[in-house]
Amino acid sequence: MKKTIIALAAALAFAACDKISTDQYVLFAGSVAQWADGTPVATPVQRAHVDKYTGPKCSNCPTADVTLEAALATHGDRMTLIAVNHPSVQGLPYPNEPDLRTSHGTAWVQFYGITGIPAALLNRNTASTFSGSMPSISGAIADAIAQQPTLALEVEAAAEGSSVTIDVNMQFLADIAEPLTLTLALTEDSLAYKQLLPNASVNPTYVHNHMLRDVVTDTWGTPVEAQGRSGECRKATFRYAPSNPDIKLENCHIVALVSYKESRQIVNCAECHISH
Amino acid sequence: MNKKTLTLTLVLTMGTAVSAQGILGGHVTGNVQLDAQMSRADSTIGAEEVPERLLLNARADVLYQNGDFSAGLRFEMYQNPLLGFDPQYKGQGLAHYFVKYSGQRLTLTAGHFYEQFGSGMILRTYEDRYLGLDNALFGASLQYRPVDGITIKALAGRQRLYWDYGAGLVRGIDAEVAINSIIPALADSKLRATLGAGFVSKYEDDESLPAADPAFRLNLPLNVGAGAFRLNLGYGGWNLQAEYAHKGQDPSEMNHYIYRQGSALLLDLSYSQRGFSANLQAKRIDNMGFKSVRTQSGEMLFINYLPAITKNHTYAFLTMYPYATQVNGEQGLQGNVMYKFKKGTLLGGKYGTDLSLNSSVVTALDTTSLGGAGTDGYSVETFSRGGLLYGDVSVEVAKKLSKTVKLTATYAYQVFNPVVEGHSPDLYHNNVLIADLSWRINKKHSLRFEAEWMGSDSKYDPEQGHDDRRAGDWIMGLVEWNIGTHWFLSASDQYAYNDGTGNYYNLSVGYTRGATRAQLGYGKQREGLLCIGGVCRQVPASNGLTFSLTTSF
Repeated sequence: MKKTIIALAAALAFAACDKISTDQYVLFAGSVAQWADGTPVATPVQRAHVDKYTGPKCSNCPTADVTLEAALATHGDRMTLIAVNHPSVQGLPYPNEPDLRTSHGTAWVQFYGITGIPAALLNRNTASTFSGSMPSISGAIADAIAQQPTLALEVEAAAEGSSVTIDVNMQFLADIAEPLTLTLALTEDSLAYKQLLPNASVNPTYVHNHMLRDVVTDTWGTPVEAQGRSGECRKATFRYAPSNPDIKLENCHIVALVSYKESRQIVNCAECHISH
Repeated sequence: MNKKTLTLTLVLTMGTAVSAQGILGGHVTGNVQLDAQMSRADSTIGAEEVPERLLLNARADVLYQNGDFSAGLRFEMYQNPLLGFDPQYKGQGLAHYFVKYSGQRLTLTAGHFYEQFGSGMILRTYEDRYLGLDNALFGASLQYRPVDGITIKALAGRQRLYWDYGAGLVRGIDAEVAINSIIPALADSKLRATLGAGFVSKYEDDESLPAADPAFRLNLPLNVGAGAFRLNLGYGGWNLQAEYAHKGQDPSEMNHYIYRQGSALLLDLSYSQRGFSANLQAKRIDNMGFKSVRTQSGEMLFINYLPAITKNHTYAFLTMYPYATQVNGEQGLQGNVMYKFKKGTLLGGKYGTDLSLNSSVVTALDTTSLGGAGTDGYSVETFSRGGLLYGDVSVEVAKKLSKTVKLTATYAYQVFNPVVEGHSPDLYHNNVLIADLSWRINKKHSLRFEAEWMGSDSKYDPEQGHDDRRAGDWIMGLVEWNIGTHWFLSASDQYAYNDGTGNYYNLSVGYTRGATRAQLGYGKQREGLLCIGGVCRQVPASNGLTFSLTTSF
């Protein structure tokens, strides 16, 4: 009996009280948007968005990278770019290297039927797909950004510790009757990992930029809470904390995409670096 | 268990048990209580219509004892619950049952049981039928006395929650050592000492509760522990009781989900000798509410009990503003002196005079906010005080005027902060005068007269947001007539004559025979709080008949 009592006492004293450190009182519970009235967008321009499908074991992908980096140099902030690691064998990581594939990217690949890489999709319009060295993509981007915008967009992101506050502001420049969605993607630059080159050699420190690391919203975005009338301004604030500890927020950008809910084609886009 | 089955079980068990007295060699005792209420709408006091017309609470306790073995059960019925009782009690069934073995060194209980460690600041399960409160544990408990003077208790179980059990699992262990019993050299010492320590832990599953920032959820401690140490010293007429309790992080509905650890200190110093006694109590509570389910509000599922240190008054106007213990934080002092002026002295007169002085003061803690849910909540300035919550001073003189007449006169001054009940924090200042005269006319008849007056600076003015129906100045008269040994009649009226509202009259007649007592009443009940030991329940206004019957066997 004495042993039983002592065992009970020990069990209670040592195992029955949890202590939580101050920085762990709360856990990230998923991004939550708080919508409110916004303000007119400072630079109401039409931008173009490109999803680049790539992989570390895709020998022609560096060639496409050169084309798209040149397009970025040409179009500046009128263009946004997300590099999506393809889920096929070419997208598999080399041994002891991180896996840059994401469930969100895989969903996009499956939806758009991207079977070979390199490939690119302009404004998520399946009529504007590009492959190989993509020589015509810069011209297509120029055509896209020359359009009169129906919705202007701007995004700001600031990191505080391990979490990020993201503010998205949009202004309707014309009536848009169709429901819209807002997708926020986290991309990371300066990821120096192995890449198969066109000459079949492997560059062990190839710098991967614009890599999709996570999607802050749902994969296909969160509904835009707006009437959709010309002149209307709406603003959404998100809180986000990446679950992957390897992500370096100082190298990350937020890409904001407003899309038609039904067709998933992009209405407009914007990008910002995460400030600290 | 099916309710009909439970009812049948009770009836059969009771019938069998009563008839079994002497047959099984054991002994059966029990009691039955029935309370009924009929109330109708009365806009003058805020009473609402009762759709059922008749409300009924009933219970029957049966205890069987046979040597070291005992077993008990309690049947309860709320069809439907009386006004002021939680509607979740609605129903009937076997609410409490247990079997118990009580040996010389070992006591084992299985089923429902009540237990208390020390003063209860880390564990006290109890039942109060008038508060509609029952936080019994359903599980098993063990009490072991390895040698005289040492008592070890261990228990585990879940707490009753109306007709179910709370999800939290409660585990506890406590040890108490009577120093004079275990050290032979101190057996006859004038200094008596008892030491005790206890530890209680509750376990709850994780759940998703939002932090102040909706993008985050609380990282909840699944095991929450509370420990306490206590000391009791006695020397001659002096006695000192001290207990300190500490509770780990316990974010809950009660404390608005903060992670600050809890603490409580209770000191009680008393002295008594023939004709004189004095007592001084001090208490400090900081975030010490401890429930077995973190999201539970109200008075149910408390694992611990935080004793009140204000006087438990009995007269109507002194109980009109009862103090409810603030489990999230309070500190207070209470002093009590009783002196008996001897017969034949100037103040004692022919029969002696009893004088009682009491004063208590309770304040909030001096806190600085550190944030809401998911933070440490607040910091406390240790040697400072927050706003006044309650204070009172009372003087009571009881004197026998003749062989048949006794007078008790009381004066009290109260300061009450209605913020503790959710009203605006404008202090009420009340003066109360009471005269209580008992007259034994002859061996069969006696009368008791009670007159009370209360002057208050509070006002009833609903248009200005002052909706407390207790506010204002009041007078009250009561007459009780005891007829023989069986009957009594009573009539009383409380009337708000200034700055208040309401005229609450009551008539009642009662009959007592042996262990059976029946009472029928008619009148109006003012809405307010009914508090027992600092634990309270809201009583709504009512106007109508009440009937109660109690008996024991």
